Amino acid sequence: MTMLNIENLSAEVGGKTILNGLSLSINAGEIHAIMGPNGAGKSTLAYTLGGRPGYEVTGGSVRFLGEDLLAKEPHERAAAGLFLGFQYPVEIPGVSNVQFLRSALNAQRVARGQAELSGGDFLRLARAQADALGLAQDMLKRPVNVGFSGGEKKRNEMVQMGIIDPRLAILDETDSGLDIDALRVVGHGINTIMRKPDRAVLLITHYQRLLDYVKPDFVHVLAGGRIVRSGGAELALELEREGYGALAA
Amino acid sequence: MNGVLDLPSTHDEAWRWSDLSGLPALAGARPGGRAPTGELWIGCGGPRLLFIDGAYRPEESDPGPVTVGPAEAGAGDHPLGRLAGHQGWRLQLARDRGPAATIEIVHVATGGPAHVAAEIVMDEDAQASLVETFAGEGWHNVARKITLGRAARLGIARRVLGGGFASLTDTASLAAGASLDIATLAAGSGDSRLDTRLTLEGGGAYGEAGGALLARGAQRHDANAVLRHAAAGGTSRQLWRSVADDRATCAVAARVEVARDAQKTDAEQSLKGLLLARTATINAKPELEIFADDVKCAHGATVGELDRNALFYLASRGVPPVEAKALLTRAFVADALARIGDEAVRAAFLADAEAWLGA
Repeated sequence: MTMLNIENLSAEVGGKTILNGLSLSINAGEIHAIMGPNGAGKSTLAYTLGGRPGYEVTGGSVRFLGEDLLAKEPHERAAAGLFLGFQYPVEIPGVSNVQFLRSALNAQRVARGQAELSGGDFLRLARAQADALGLAQDMLKRPVNVGFSGGEKKRNEMVQMGIIDPRLAILDETDSGLDIDALRVVGHGINTIMRKPDRAVLLITHYQRLLDYVKPDFVHVLAGGRIVRSGGAELALELEREGYGALAA
Repeated sequence: MNGVLDLPSTHDEAWRWSDLSGLPALAGARPGGRAPTGELWIGCGGPRLLFIDGAYRPEESDPGPVTVGPAEAGAGDHPLGRLAGHQGWRLQLARDRGPAATIEIVHVATGGPAHVAAEIVMDEDAQASLVETFAGEGWHNVARKITLGRAARLGIARRVLGGGFASLTDTASLAAGASLDIATLAAGSGDSRLDTRLTLEGGGAYGEAGGALLARGAQRHDANAVLRHAAAGGTSRQLWRSVADDRATCAVAARVEVARDAQKTDAEQSLKGLLLARTATINAKPELEIFADDVKCAHGATVGELDRNALFYLASRGVPPVEAKALLTRAFVADALARIGDEAVRAAFLADAEAWLGA
């Protein structure tokens, strides 16, 4: 089943074209990695799919689970099953992680016509996910990402992904700023939460190292706002060896 | 000049952000009569008093140590405070005395004027906490004089929930080591003018005035606070959070005065404003007047909008825009209410703020 189908997508930021006719199709059960040099448009792709204000689609189409993704508001995209993992998770002083995630999960459930989770049920779910990802319990009570280290912020993204349990996760440089231990935890999180026949992942990464822990089914190279080459897991190793320069040439 | 009421105009610096134009009509209006009060009680389990249109209602009150009758409000020539008259309530606590639970006073103004004078006198080491609720569509005009003896401690939390106008004028003097904290929440649909003047007369006293002002539509809240350090070693805190939407205005003028002898003063002001619409107005005016040389006076004033990155982060997790806005706004005002000591009172105030944000 096709989960995400991007056709000829173009987008601009601040009047500058960043995505330039990008096409990509992701089926359920697949993990895709998008790699590319700085400035290739990797984060722009993530934000455009997430619906961030300021990222303007100028052409093409995106269908997610058979629906027009671009016609939806950002929160509606989340309710439809899309999860965006941030390269720089945002700090929100005064709002606790628990409060934030409970609002998020229940808003999604209501949008899908499901009943809201009670406080107790939610806490059990949140604690289980925090444990699974090695995030200390007291971090759940603290304001969202405030005072978290880089690694803790990324673990928190994974805890959120586990609680929300999306159909498709787009993870924007989730590996950046992680030490080896954190990388292993995050990789394990992605595998346990998302490596399922009815789930899919789009990993956006600059380096190959996360792919040691999360084996991609397909690897794509993004350059100049479009996909210039696709292959299997071995393509990532080739890129690591030869650099992006050879490909762009 | 504003007719028979003789109100100050906006040409007067201290009143430039106030809009008193509705007061003559409210002053002459007939009260609407009886109003339901059930939901206005927090239920602190202590003494309680009900005033409707400025008149005491003994049948629904249990005043404890509070006496009802003449009171010296000490408003001097304050243009609104002096109109509050000399009748209302009085709390006098002898040395070491104090009610075990928070005193609760509910004021309802059903459409016309509701003038109340109040006086609190606490002797050495006396302790009390007080919560006041102002509701209804009329004009609450309360003037109060507070005199705290050595090491006396008083906490006041008040919430303005009505749709009319509330002018609340407090004048307080604190002896050595005394402590007074006045926190105000404006979460109704009407306007307000808050005047607070605290003087730390004795050494080592602690004074705090602050709160959360929420305004939308054409609402206007105007708070003026003066914390005067007259003796050495005093501490003062002013933490105000203003939220304005639509064409509303919130103004906070907060002043710290440090007299020549008030060395080792520790004063802090934090005035923050949040604009929910570009058409709204927030005025923050921190003022310092310092005549001593060994003091610490921190002050900060900021006005901004909701963080767009935070809004998108919340949206990306499925939180709809209205809810995301409310969540961030609630977080913004929370620290102004976090300092209310009585847990039930704090919870009630947070619920009021939440109700306002969700409305």
